[in-house]
Amino acid sequence: MEKYYRKWFWLLIMPSMLLFFFVIAIPFIVGTLYSFTSWRGTYFAGGSFLNSFVGFGNYIKAFSDERFIHSLVYTSLYTLAAVVAINLVALAFSLMLNNIKKGVGIYRTIFFLPNMLGGLAMGFVWQFIFQVVYTEILFSPDGLFHAEFLRYMTQNTTKALFALVIMTVWQSAGYMMLIYISGLNSIPGDLYEAAQIDGAGPVRRFFKVTLPLLMPSVTIVLFLTLANSFKLLDQNVALTNGNFNTRLIALQILRTVQDNTPPDYGTAQAQAVIFFVIVAVISLFQVSVTRRKEVEY
Amino acid sequence: MDKSFFIKRKIANAIIYTVLTAIAVYTLMPMLFLLLNSFKSQSEIIRNPLAFPEVWTTEYLTRAFDAISFPRALGYTVLIAVCSLVLIVLFSSLCGWVITRYKSKISTVIYLLFVSAMLIPFQAVMYPLMNMMDWAGLKNIFGLIIMYAGFGLSLSIFLYSGFFKTIPYGVEEAALIDGANIFRMFFFIVFPLVKGITVTVLILNGMWIWNDYLLPYLTLGTSESKTLVLELFYAKMTSGQFGNPWELIFPAVLISVIPMIIVFLFLQKYFVKGVSAGAIKS
Repeated sequence: MEKYYRKWFWLLIMPSMLLFFFVIAIPFIVGTLYSFTSWRGTYFAGGSFLNSFVGFGNYIKAFSDERFIHSLVYTSLYTLAAVVAINLVALAFSLMLNNIKKGVGIYRTIFFLPNMLGGLAMGFVWQFIFQVVYTEILFSPDGLFHAEFLRYMTQNTTKALFALVIMTVWQSAGYMMLIYISGLNSIPGDLYEAAQIDGAGPVRRFFKVTLPLLMPSVTIVLFLTLANSFKLLDQNVALTNGNFNTRLIALQILRTVQDNTPPDYGTAQAQAVIFFVIVAVISLFQVSVTRRKEVEY
Repeated sequence: MDKSFFIKRKIANAIIYTVLTAIAVYTLMPMLFLLLNSFKSQSEIIRNPLAFPEVWTTEYLTRAFDAISFPRALGYTVLIAVCSLVLIVLFSSLCGWVITRYKSKISTVIYLLFVSAMLIPFQAVMYPLMNMMDWAGLKNIFGLIIMYAGFGLSLSIFLYSGFFKTIPYGVEEAALIDGANIFRMFFFIVFPLVKGITVTVLILNGMWIWNDYLLPYLTLGTSESKTLVLELFYAKMTSGQFGNPWELIFPAVLISVIPMIIVFLFLQKYFVKGVSAGAIKS
Protein backbone atom coordinates (compact mmCIF):
# COMPACT_ATOMS: atom_id res chain seq x y z
CA MET A 1 0.00 0.00 0.00
CA GLU A 2 2.86 2.35 0.95
CA LYS A 3 4.42 1.71 -2.44
CA TYR A 4 1.19 2.50 -4.20
CA TYR A 5 0.88 5.88 -2.49
CA ARG A 6 4.52 6.60 -3.23
CA LYS A 7 3.93 6.07 -6.92
CA TRP A 8 1.31 8.84 -6.92
CA PHE A 9 2.91 11.02 -4.30
CA TRP A 10 4.57 13.65 -6.48
CA LEU A 11 1.70 13.94 -8.92
CA LEU A 12 -0.84 14.56 -6.18
CA ILE A 13 1.15 17.13 -4.26
CA MET A 14 2.31 18.88 -7.43
CA PRO A 15 -0.53 21.44 -7.77
CA SER A 16 -0.21 22.48 -4.13
CA MET A 17 3.56 22.67 -4.31
CA LEU A 18 3.50 24.77 -7.49
CA LEU A 19 1.03 27.23 -5.99
CA PHE A 20 2.95 27.32 -2.76
CA PHE A 21 6.21 28.13 -4.50
CA PHE A 22 4.79 30.75 -6.84
CA VAL A 23 2.53 32.52 -4.40
CA ILE A 24 4.41 32.23 -1.11
CA ALA A 25 7.90 30.72 -1.14
CA ILE A 26 9.45 32.53 -4.11
CA PRO A 27 7.99 35.97 -3.31
CA PHE A 28 9.08 35.51 0.29
CA ILE A 29 12.67 34.68 -0.65
CA VAL A 30 12.78 37.35 -3.35
CA GLY A 31 11.28 39.88 -0.94
CA THR A 32 13.85 39.11 1.72
CA LEU A 33 16.64 39.57 -0.84
CA TYR A 34 15.10 42.80 -2.14
CA SER A 35 14.98 44.21 1.37
CA PHE A 36 18.77 44.54 1.10
CA THR A 37 18.58 46.54 -2.12
CA SER A 38 17.42 49.96 -3.27
CA TRP A 39 14.42 48.44 -5.00
CA ARG A 40 11.90 50.91 -6.42
CA GLY A 41 9.07 48.51 -7.23
CA THR A 42 9.54 48.29 -10.97
CA TYR A 43 13.25 48.91 -11.22
CA PHE A 44 16.43 49.06 -9.14
CA ALA A 45 17.96 52.42 -8.27
CA GLY A 46 21.41 51.06 -9.06
CA GLY A 47 20.42 49.77 -12.48
CA SER A 48 20.56 46.06 -11.69
CA PHE A 49 19.89 43.88 -8.67
CA LEU A 50 23.57 43.34 -7.90
CA ASN A 51 24.49 47.01 -8.23
CA SER A 52 21.70 48.08 -5.90
CA PHE A 53 22.86 46.16 -2.87
CA VAL A 54 22.68 48.43 0.19
CA GLY A 55 23.37 45.96 3.01
CA PHE A 56 21.33 46.75 6.08
CA GLY A 57 20.68 50.27 4.83
CA ASN A 58 16.93 49.75 4.48
CA TYR A 59 16.72 48.24 7.95
CA ILE A 60 18.57 51.21 9.42
CA LYS A 61 16.25 53.52 7.51
CA ALA A 62 13.24 51.63 8.79
CA PHE A 63 14.33 51.81 12.41
CA SER A 64 15.20 55.48 12.18
CA ASP A 65 11.85 56.30 10.58
CA GLU A 66 9.70 57.81 13.30
CA ARG A 67 6.49 56.78 11.59
CA PHE A 68 7.58 53.15 11.44
CA ILE A 69 8.63 53.07 15.10
CA HIS A 70 5.39 54.78 16.04
CA SER A 71 3.38 52.21 14.09
CA LEU A 72 5.24 49.41 15.90
CA VAL A 73 4.47 50.88 19.31
CA TYR A 74 0.92 51.71 18.30
CA THR A 75 0.33 48.19 17.00
CA SER A 76 1.76 46.65 20.17
CA LEU A 77 -0.47 48.78 22.39
CA TYR A 78 -3.51 48.02 20.28
CA THR A 79 -2.70 44.31 20.28
CA LEU A 80 -2.29 44.26 24.05
CA ALA A 81 -5.61 46.00 24.62
CA ALA A 82 -7.49 44.04 21.96
CA VAL A 83 -6.22 40.61 23.00
CA VAL A 84 -7.18 41.18 26.64
CA ALA A 85 -10.56 42.72 25.80
CA ILE A 86 -11.59 40.19 23.16
CA ASN A 87 -10.55 37.26 25.33
CA LEU A 88 -12.41 38.46 28.42
CA VAL A 89 -15.55 39.37 26.50
CA ALA A 90 -15.54 36.11 24.53
CA LEU A 91 -15.01 34.11 27.71
CA ALA A 92 -17.81 35.97 29.47
CA PHE A 93 -20.16 35.33 26.52
CA SER A 94 -19.37 31.63 26.49
CA LEU A 95 -19.76 31.23 30.26
CA MET A 96 -23.12 32.98 30.20
CA LEU A 97 -24.36 30.91 27.26
CA ASN A 98 -23.11 27.77 28.96
CA ASN A 99 -25.31 28.56 31.94
CA ILE A 100 -28.63 28.90 30.16
CA LYS A 101 -30.79 26.41 28.33
CA LYS A 102 -33.28 28.34 26.22
CA GLY A 103 -32.25 30.64 23.38
CA VAL A 104 -28.58 29.67 23.21
CA GLY A 105 -28.75 29.39 19.43
CA ILE A 106 -30.22 32.83 18.81
CA TYR A 107 -27.72 34.62 21.07
CA ARG A 108 -24.86 32.71 19.48
CA THR A 109 -26.03 33.72 16.01
CA ILE A 110 -26.36 37.39 16.95
CA PHE A 111 -22.95 37.55 18.62
CA PHE A 112 -21.28 35.84 15.68
CA LEU A 113 -23.01 37.88 12.98
CA PRO A 114 -20.67 40.96 12.98
CA ASN A 115 -17.80 38.66 12.08
CA MET A 116 -19.37 37.86 8.74
CA LEU A 117 -19.63 41.42 7.60
CA GLY A 118 -16.14 42.48 6.69
CA GLY A 119 -13.87 44.95 8.44
CA LEU A 120 -13.99 47.57 5.73
CA ALA A 121 -17.77 47.70 5.24
CA MET A 122 -18.60 47.76 8.93
CA GLY A 123 -15.64 50.04 9.58
CA PHE A 124 -17.40 52.72 7.55
CA VAL A 125 -20.51 52.31 9.66
CA TRP A 126 -18.45 52.52 12.86
CA GLN A 127 -16.73 55.62 11.58
CA PHE A 128 -20.16 57.20 11.38
CA ILE A 129 -21.04 55.93 14.85
CA PHE A 130 -17.90 57.45 16.35
CA GLN A 131 -18.11 60.71 14.41
CA VAL A 132 -21.81 61.40 14.64
CA VAL A 133 -23.59 59.15 17.12
CA TYR A 134 -20.93 59.13 19.87
CA THR A 135 -19.84 62.71 19.31
CA GLU A 136 -23.08 64.55 18.71
CA ILE A 137 -25.71 62.45 20.43
CA LEU A 138 -24.66 59.98 23.10
CA PHE A 139 -21.72 61.66 24.78
CA SER A 140 -22.12 65.33 23.91
CA PRO A 141 -22.66 67.88 26.72
CA ASP A 142 -26.43 67.62 26.28
CA GLY A 143 -26.48 63.94 25.39
CA LEU A 144 -27.01 60.75 27.35
CA PHE A 145 -24.03 61.54 29.54
CA HIS A 146 -21.14 63.84 28.85
CA ALA A 147 -17.86 62.01 28.19
CA GLU A 148 -15.31 64.03 26.32
CA PHE A 149 -13.09 60.98 25.91
CA LEU A 150 -15.71 59.21 23.80
CA ARG A 151 -16.14 62.15 21.44
CA TYR A 152 -14.17 62.67 18.21
CA MET A 153 -12.55 59.29 18.71
CA THR A 154 -11.38 58.99 15.12
CA GLN A 155 -9.49 62.28 15.27
CA ASN A 156 -7.01 61.63 18.02
CA THR A 157 -4.14 59.15 18.22
CA THR A 158 -4.96 57.75 21.66
CA LYS A 159 -8.72 57.78 21.31
CA ALA A 160 -8.53 56.11 17.89
CA LEU A 161 -6.74 53.19 19.51
CA PHE A 162 -9.72 52.65 21.77
CA ALA A 163 -12.10 53.16 18.88
CA LEU A 164 -10.30 50.30 17.13
CA VAL A 165 -10.57 48.15 20.24
CA ILE A 166 -14.29 48.92 20.61
CA MET A 167 -14.94 47.98 17.03
CA THR A 168 -12.82 44.83 16.92
CA VAL A 169 -14.27 43.53 20.18
CA TRP A 170 -17.71 44.02 18.66
CA GLN A 171 -16.60 42.21 15.55
CA SER A 172 -14.54 39.26 16.75
CA ALA A 173 -15.66 38.43 20.29
CA GLY A 174 -18.46 36.30 18.83
CA TYR A 175 -16.03 34.24 16.80
CA MET A 176 -13.74 33.58 19.75
CA MET A 177 -16.82 32.81 21.86
CA LEU A 178 -17.56 29.81 19.60
CA ILE A 179 -14.11 28.41 20.33
CA TYR A 180 -14.56 28.86 24.07
CA ILE A 181 -18.01 27.25 23.93
CA SER A 182 -16.66 24.13 22.27
CA GLY A 183 -13.87 24.11 24.86
CA LEU A 184 -16.37 24.34 27.72
CA ASN A 185 -18.46 21.56 26.21
CA SER A 186 -15.50 19.21 26.23
CA ILE A 187 -15.03 19.51 30.01
CA PRO A 188 -16.64 16.45 31.64
CA GLY A 189 -19.54 17.38 33.94
CA ASP A 190 -18.59 14.94 36.69
CA LEU A 191 -15.52 17.03 37.45
CA TYR A 192 -17.81 19.88 38.51
CA GLU A 193 -19.91 17.53 40.58
CA ALA A 194 -16.81 16.22 42.31
CA ALA A 195 -15.61 19.74 43.00
CA GLN A 196 -19.03 20.72 44.31
CA ILE A 197 -19.16 17.76 46.66
CA ASP A 198 -15.72 18.71 47.91
CA GLY A 199 -17.22 22.08 48.80
CA ALA A 200 -15.79 24.29 46.07
CA GLY A 201 -17.87 27.42 45.33
CA PRO A 202 -18.51 28.77 41.85
CA VAL A 203 -15.44 31.06 41.87
CA ARG A 204 -13.18 28.28 43.05
CA ARG A 205 -14.70 25.87 40.52
CA PHE A 206 -13.98 28.34 37.75
CA PHE A 207 -10.32 28.82 38.69
CA LYS A 208 -9.57 25.25 39.71
CA VAL A 209 -11.61 23.26 37.18
CA THR A 210 -12.84 25.34 34.26
CA LEU A 211 -9.83 27.50 33.56
CA PRO A 212 -7.11 24.80 33.67
CA LEU A 213 -9.17 22.51 31.45
CA LEU A 214 -9.96 25.35 29.10
CA MET A 215 -6.29 26.06 28.43
CA PRO A 216 -6.26 24.39 24.98
CA SER A 217 -9.01 26.79 23.87
CA VAL A 218 -7.19 29.70 25.49
CA THR A 219 -4.11 28.79 23.45
CA ILE A 220 -6.09 28.87 20.23
CA VAL A 221 -7.94 32.07 21.02
CA LEU A 222 -4.77 33.84 22.12
CA PHE A 223 -3.00 32.67 18.99
CA LEU A 224 -5.80 33.86 16.72
CA THR A 225 -6.39 37.21 18.44
CA LEU A 226 -2.67 37.97 18.64
CA ALA A 227 -2.17 37.23 14.96
CA ASN A 228 -5.34 39.04 13.87
CA SER A 229 -4.60 42.12 15.97
CA PHE A 230 -1.03 42.39 14.82
CA LYS A 231 -2.05 42.11 11.18
CA LEU A 232 -5.15 44.30 11.44
CA LEU A 233 -5.63 46.48 8.38
CA ASP A 234 -9.20 46.86 7.09
CA GLN A 235 -10.63 48.45 10.23
CA ASN A 236 -7.66 50.78 10.42
CA VAL A 237 -8.23 51.91 6.83
CA ALA A 238 -11.95 52.36 7.36
CA LEU A 239 -11.90 54.21 10.68
CA THR A 240 -9.05 56.69 10.29
CA ASN A 241 -7.15 55.65 7.17
CA GLY A 242 -4.01 56.20 9.23
CA ASN A 243 -4.63 59.91 9.76
CA PHE A 244 -3.78 61.53 13.11
CA ASN A 245 -0.82 59.15 13.55
CA THR A 246 -2.99 56.08 13.75
CA ARG A 247 -1.24 53.77 11.31
CA LEU A 248 -0.93 50.19 12.45
CA ILE A 249 2.09 48.39 11.08
CA ALA A 250 0.26 46.69 8.18
CA LEU A 251 -0.96 50.06 6.94
CA GLN A 252 2.46 51.64 7.52
CA ILE A 253 4.10 49.07 5.22
CA LEU A 254 1.48 49.89 2.60
CA ARG A 255 1.98 53.65 2.94
CA THR A 256 5.80 53.71 3.17
CA VAL A 257 5.82 53.33 -0.57
CA GLN A 258 3.69 56.43 -1.08
CA ASP A 259 5.45 58.47 1.60
CA ASN A 260 8.63 58.60 -0.44
CA THR A 261 9.41 59.75 -3.96
CA PRO A 262 10.65 57.75 -5.75
CA PRO A 263 8.62 54.97 -4.06
CA ASP A 264 10.91 53.26 -1.59
CA TYR A 265 9.93 49.62 -1.99
CA GLY A 266 13.27 48.48 -0.56
CA THR A 267 12.54 50.04 2.82
CA ALA A 268 8.90 48.94 2.75
CA GLN A 269 10.14 45.39 2.15
CA ALA A 270 12.62 45.68 5.03
CA GLN A 271 9.72 46.76 7.26
CA ALA A 272 7.75 43.75 6.04
CA VAL A 273 10.62 41.40 6.95
CA ILE A 274 10.83 42.96 10.42
CA PHE A 275 7.06 42.51 10.69
CA PHE A 276 7.39 38.84 9.74
CA VAL A 277 10.08 38.24 12.37
CA ILE A 278 7.96 39.86 15.09
CA VAL A 279 4.82 37.91 14.13
CA ALA A 280 6.72 34.62 13.96
CA VAL A 281 8.55 35.09 17.26
CA ILE A 282 5.45 36.18 19.17
CA SER A 283 3.34 33.35 17.79
CA LEU A 284 5.90 30.64 18.51
CA PHE A 285 6.65 32.00 21.97
CA GLN A 286 2.99 32.28 22.85
CA VAL A 287 2.16 28.77 21.67
CA SER A 288 5.05 27.23 23.59
CA VAL A 289 4.13 29.08 26.79
CA THR A 290 0.43 28.25 26.79
CA ARG A 291 1.09 24.65 25.73
CA ARG A 292 3.03 24.19 28.93
CA LYS A 293 0.08 25.44 30.95
CA GLU A 294 -2.33 22.89 29.49
CA VAL A 295 -3.27 20.05 31.80
CA GLU A 296 -4.18 16.46 31.07
CA TYR A 297 -7.14 14.73 32.59
CA MET B 1 -32.13 20.71 47.61
CA ASP B 2 -33.78 23.48 49.59
CA LYS B 3 -36.01 26.19 48.21
CA SER B 4 -33.49 29.01 48.45
CA PHE B 5 -31.27 27.20 45.97
CA PHE B 6 -33.95 27.34 43.30
CA ILE B 7 -34.73 30.98 44.02
CA LYS B 8 -31.05 31.84 43.75
CA ARG B 9 -30.86 29.89 40.52
CA LYS B 10 -33.86 31.80 39.15
CA ILE B 11 -32.41 35.19 40.02
CA ALA B 12 -29.08 34.23 38.48
CA ASN B 13 -30.89 33.14 35.32
CA ALA B 14 -32.83 36.39 35.12
CA ILE B 15 -29.62 38.39 35.43
CA ILE B 16 -27.88 36.33 32.75
CA TYR B 17 -30.77 36.74 30.32
CA THR B 18 -30.94 40.49 30.93
CA VAL B 19 -27.23 40.92 30.32
CA LEU B 20 -27.27 38.71 27.24
CA THR B 21 -30.21 40.58 25.75
CA ALA B 22 -28.57 43.93 26.42
CA ILE B 23 -25.41 42.76 24.66
CA ALA B 24 -27.44 41.34 21.78
CA VAL B 25 -29.13 44.72 21.30
CA TYR B 26 -25.75 46.45 21.44
CA THR B 27 -24.37 43.98 18.88
CA LEU B 28 -27.25 44.54 16.49
CA MET B 29 -27.28 48.32 16.88
CA PRO B 30 -24.74 49.15 14.15
CA MET B 31 -26.66 46.93 11.74
CA LEU B 32 -29.89 48.63 12.66
CA PHE B 33 -28.26 52.02 11.99
CA LEU B 34 -27.08 50.75 8.69
CA LEU B 35 -30.57 49.68 7.75
CA LEU B 36 -32.36 52.85 8.89
CA ASN B 37 -29.86 55.28 7.40
CA SER B 38 -29.88 53.58 4.02
CA PHE B 39 -33.25 55.22 3.37
CA LYS B 40 -32.37 58.78 4.37
CA SER B 41 -30.90 61.84 2.72
CA GLN B 42 -27.57 63.24 3.86
CA SER B 43 -29.11 66.03 5.90
CA GLU B 44 -31.61 63.71 7.51
CA ILE B 45 -28.87 61.26 8.44
CA ILE B 46 -26.85 63.97 10.17
CA ARG B 47 -29.88 65.56 11.79
CA ASN B 48 -31.50 62.41 13.04
CA PRO B 49 -29.24 59.35 12.76
CA LEU B 50 -31.17 57.22 15.23
CA ALA B 51 -34.71 57.87 14.05
CA PHE B 52 -36.76 56.00 11.50
CA PRO B 53 -36.63 57.59 8.05
CA GLU B 54 -39.28 60.26 7.43
CA VAL B 55 -40.16 58.62 4.12
CA TRP B 56 -39.16 55.11 3.14
CA THR B 57 -37.62 55.72 -0.25
CA THR B 58 -35.42 53.41 -2.27
CA GLU B 59 -33.89 56.37 -4.08
CA TYR B 60 -30.57 56.13 -2.23
CA LEU B 61 -30.43 52.37 -2.51
CA THR B 62 -30.87 52.46 -6.29
CA ARG B 63 -28.26 55.18 -6.57
CA ALA B 64 -25.78 53.15 -4.52
CA PHE B 65 -26.69 50.04 -6.52
CA ASP B 66 -25.46 51.84 -9.64
CA ALA B 67 -22.53 53.57 -7.95
CA ILE B 68 -20.93 50.30 -6.92
CA SER B 69 -22.04 48.49 -10.12
CA PHE B 70 -23.64 45.92 -7.89
CA PRO B 71 -24.50 43.11 -10.35
CA ARG B 72 -21.06 43.17 -11.95
CA ALA B 73 -19.18 43.43 -8.66
CA LEU B 74 -21.27 40.65 -7.12
CA GLY B 75 -20.61 38.49 -10.17
CA TYR B 76 -16.85 38.96 -9.92
CA THR B 77 -16.81 38.39 -6.18
CA VAL B 78 -18.80 35.16 -6.51
CA LEU B 79 -16.61 34.00 -9.38
CA ILE B 80 -13.40 34.65 -7.45
CA ALA B 81 -14.68 33.07 -4.24
CA VAL B 82 -16.12 29.96 -5.92
CA CYS B 83 -13.13 29.27 -8.17
CA SER B 84 -10.53 29.75 -5.48
CA LEU B 85 -12.51 27.65 -3.01
CA VAL B 86 -12.77 24.81 -5.53
CA LEU B 87 -9.03 24.93 -6.12
CA ILE B 88 -8.24 25.10 -2.40
CA VAL B 89 -10.45 22.13 -1.54
CA LEU B 90 -9.25 20.03 -4.47
CA PHE B 91 -5.52 20.67 -4.09
CA SER B 92 -5.29 20.71 -0.32
CA SER B 93 -7.38 17.55 0.19
CA LEU B 94 -5.27 15.61 -2.31
CA CYS B 95 -2.05 16.94 -0.83
CA GLY B 96 -3.13 16.46 2.78
CA TRP B 97 -4.26 12.93 1.99
CA VAL B 98 -1.17 11.70 0.22
CA ILE B 99 1.30 13.23 2.69
CA THR B 100 -0.38 11.40 5.55
CA ARG B 101 -0.66 8.14 3.60
CA TYR B 102 2.90 8.01 2.32
CA LYS B 103 4.94 8.42 5.47
CA SER B 104 8.49 9.48 4.77
CA LYS B 105 10.94 12.23 5.55
CA ILE B 106 9.94 14.15 2.47
CA SER B 107 6.25 14.18 3.38
CA THR B 108 7.10 15.42 6.88
CA VAL B 109 9.22 18.17 5.39
CA ILE B 110 6.43 19.22 3.03
CA TYR B 111 3.92 19.21 5.86
CA LEU B 112 6.16 21.40 8.02
CA LEU B 113 6.76 23.71 5.08
CA PHE B 114 3.05 24.37 4.70
CA VAL B 115 2.45 24.72 8.43
CA SER B 116 5.32 27.14 8.98
CA ALA B 117 4.11 29.23 6.03
CA MET B 118 1.13 30.16 8.20
CA LEU B 119 3.48 32.41 10.14
CA ILE B 120 4.30 34.53 7.08
CA PRO B 121 2.16 37.65 7.04
CA PHE B 122 0.80 38.74 3.69
CA GLN B 123 2.79 41.98 3.87
CA ALA B 124 6.05 40.04 3.72
CA VAL B 125 5.27 38.70 0.25
CA MET B 126 2.90 41.22 -1.32
CA TYR B 127 5.29 43.55 -3.15
CA PRO B 128 7.42 40.90 -4.90
CA LEU B 129 4.28 38.86 -5.56
CA MET B 130 2.58 41.81 -7.27
CA ASN B 131 5.74 42.31 -9.29
CA MET B 132 5.71 38.69 -10.41
CA MET B 133 2.02 38.80 -11.22
CA ASP B 134 2.48 41.94 -13.25
CA TRP B 135 5.35 40.33 -15.12
CA ALA B 136 3.26 37.22 -15.80
CA GLY B 137 0.30 39.31 -16.99
CA LEU B 138 -1.80 38.02 -14.10
CA LYS B 139 -2.88 41.24 -12.43
CA ASN B 140 -6.50 40.34 -13.04
CA ILE B 141 -9.34 38.16 -11.78
CA PHE B 142 -7.55 34.99 -12.88
CA GLY B 143 -4.39 35.93 -11.01
CA LEU B 144 -6.45 36.79 -7.96
CA ILE B 145 -7.98 33.30 -7.97
CA ILE B 146 -4.52 31.74 -8.19
CA MET B 147 -3.25 33.84 -5.29
CA TYR B 148 -6.22 33.07 -3.05
CA ALA B 149 -5.77 29.38 -3.82
CA GLY B 150 -2.12 29.66 -2.83
CA PHE B 151 -2.75 31.55 0.39
CA GLY B 152 -5.59 29.25 1.42
CA LEU B 153 -3.54 26.06 1.11
CA SER B 154 -1.51 26.07 4.33
CA LEU B 155 -4.36 26.08 6.80
CA SER B 156 -6.43 23.69 4.65
CA ILE B 157 -3.66 21.12 4.24
CA PHE B 158 -3.06 21.34 7.97
CA LEU B 159 -6.75 20.66 8.69
CA TYR B 160 -7.10 17.86 6.14
CA SER B 161 -3.97 15.98 7.11
CA GLY B 162 -4.92 16.23 10.78
CA PHE B 163 -8.15 14.47 9.95
CA PHE B 164 -6.77 11.90 7.51
CA LYS B 165 -4.44 10.70 10.24
CA THR B 166 -7.47 9.51 12.19
CA ILE B 167 -8.99 7.36 9.44
CA PRO B 168 -7.47 3.96 8.71
CA TYR B 169 -6.73 3.12 5.11
CA GLY B 170 -8.31 -0.32 5.08
CA VAL B 171 -11.21 0.91 2.95
CA GLU B 172 -8.82 2.37 0.44
CA GLU B 173 -6.96 -0.94 0.19
CA ALA B 174 -10.23 -2.77 -0.47
CA ALA B 175 -11.25 -0.30 -3.17
CA LEU B 176 -7.91 -0.72 -4.82
CA ILE B 177 -8.22 -4.49 -4.87
CA ASP B 178 -11.66 -4.04 -6.46
CA GLY B 179 -9.88 -2.29 -9.32
CA ALA B 180 -10.61 1.37 -8.66
CA ASN B 181 -7.93 3.78 -9.80
CA ILE B 182 -6.50 6.36 -7.46
CA PHE B 183 -8.78 9.24 -8.47
CA ARG B 184 -11.91 7.11 -8.31
CA MET B 185 -10.83 5.85 -4.94
CA PHE B 186 -10.16 9.36 -3.68
CA PHE B 187 -13.28 11.09 -4.94
CA PHE B 188 -15.80 8.34 -4.27
CA ILE B 189 -14.46 6.78 -1.11
CA VAL B 190 -12.02 9.05 0.71
CA PHE B 191 -13.42 12.49 -0.04
CA PRO B 192 -16.97 11.79 1.24
CA LEU B 193 -15.45 10.71 4.57
CA VAL B 194 -13.99 14.15 5.21
CA LYS B 195 -17.09 16.23 4.44
CA GLY B 196 -16.91 17.86 7.86
CA ILE B 197 -13.41 19.19 7.30
CA THR B 198 -14.35 20.31 3.80
CA VAL B 199 -17.12 22.45 5.29
CA THR B 200 -14.63 23.97 7.73
CA VAL B 201 -12.13 24.65 4.95
CA LEU B 202 -14.82 26.25 2.79
CA ILE B 203 -16.09 28.50 5.56
CA LEU B 204 -12.78 29.64 7.02
CA ASN B 205 -11.41 30.45 3.57
CA GLY B 206 -14.67 31.75 2.16
CA MET B 207 -15.21 34.29 4.95
CA TRP B 208 -11.75 35.67 4.42
CA ILE B 209 -11.80 35.73 0.63
CA TRP B 210 -15.23 37.33 0.44
CA ASN B 211 -14.36 40.20 2.76
CA ASP B 212 -10.74 40.70 1.73
CA TYR B 213 -9.76 44.20 0.78
CA LEU B 214 -5.99 44.33 0.38
CA LEU B 215 -5.35 41.66 -2.23
CA PRO B 216 -8.02 42.91 -4.68
CA TYR B 217 -6.84 46.47 -4.02
CA LEU B 218 -3.29 45.60 -5.00
CA THR B 219 -4.24 43.33 -7.88
CA LEU B 220 -7.22 44.99 -9.51
CA GLY B 221 -6.84 48.57 -8.29
CA THR B 222 -9.01 50.93 -10.26
CA SER B 223 -9.63 48.53 -13.15
CA GLU B 224 -13.15 47.78 -14.39
CA SER B 225 -13.42 44.43 -12.71
CA LYS B 226 -13.69 45.22 -9.02
CA THR B 227 -14.93 43.05 -6.18
CA LEU B 228 -17.72 44.25 -3.90
CA VAL B 229 -15.37 45.33 -1.12
CA LEU B 230 -13.21 47.20 -3.61
CA GLU B 231 -16.19 48.99 -5.17
CA LEU B 232 -17.25 50.04 -1.72
CA PHE B 233 -13.76 51.27 -0.91
CA TYR B 234 -13.55 53.42 -4.03
CA ALA B 235 -17.10 54.72 -3.60
CA LYS B 236 -16.06 56.03 -0.19
CA MET B 237 -12.60 57.26 -1.13
CA THR B 238 -13.41 59.11 -4.32
CA SER B 239 -16.44 60.91 -3.01
CA GLY B 240 -15.04 61.40 0.46
CA GLN B 241 -12.72 64.29 -0.30
CA PHE B 242 -15.30 66.84 0.74
CA GLY B 243 -16.71 65.13 3.81
CA ASN B 244 -18.41 61.77 3.88
CA PRO B 245 -21.43 61.30 1.61
CA TRP B 246 -23.27 59.09 4.08
CA GLU B 247 -26.36 58.95 1.88
CA LEU B 248 -24.24 56.96 -0.56
CA ILE B 249 -22.09 55.00 1.87
CA PHE B 250 -24.87 53.57 4.04
CA PRO B 251 -26.93 52.06 1.21
CA ALA B 252 -23.74 50.90 -0.52
CA VAL B 253 -22.57 49.09 2.61
CA LEU B 254 -26.03 47.62 3.11
CA ILE B 255 -26.21 46.27 -0.43
CA SER B 256 -22.73 44.83 -0.24
CA VAL B 257 -23.29 42.95 3.02
CA ILE B 258 -26.71 41.55 2.16
CA PRO B 259 -25.41 38.54 0.17
CA MET B 260 -23.21 37.48 3.09
CA ILE B 261 -26.06 37.87 5.60
CA ILE B 262 -28.30 35.70 3.44
CA VAL B 263 -25.64 33.03 3.08
CA PHE B 264 -24.98 33.13 6.81
CA LEU B 265 -28.62 32.85 7.84
CA PHE B 266 -29.10 29.80 5.64
CA LEU B 267 -25.87 28.06 6.53
CA GLN B 268 -25.29 29.27 10.09
CA LYS B 269 -25.32 25.74 11.45
CA TYR B 270 -22.30 25.00 9.29
CA PHE B 271 -20.58 28.24 10.21
CA VAL B 272 -20.82 27.50 13.91
CA LYS B 273 -19.61 23.95 13.38
CA GLY B 274 -16.90 25.00 10.94
CA VAL B 275 -15.39 27.62 13.20
CA SER B 276 -15.39 25.43 16.31
CA ALA B 277 -14.07 22.40 14.44
CA GLY B 278 -11.35 24.46 12.78
CA ALA B 279 -10.21 25.67 16.15
CA ILE B 280 -10.15 22.26 17.81
CA LYS B 281 -8.23 20.66 14.98
CA SER B 282 -5.57 23.33 15.08
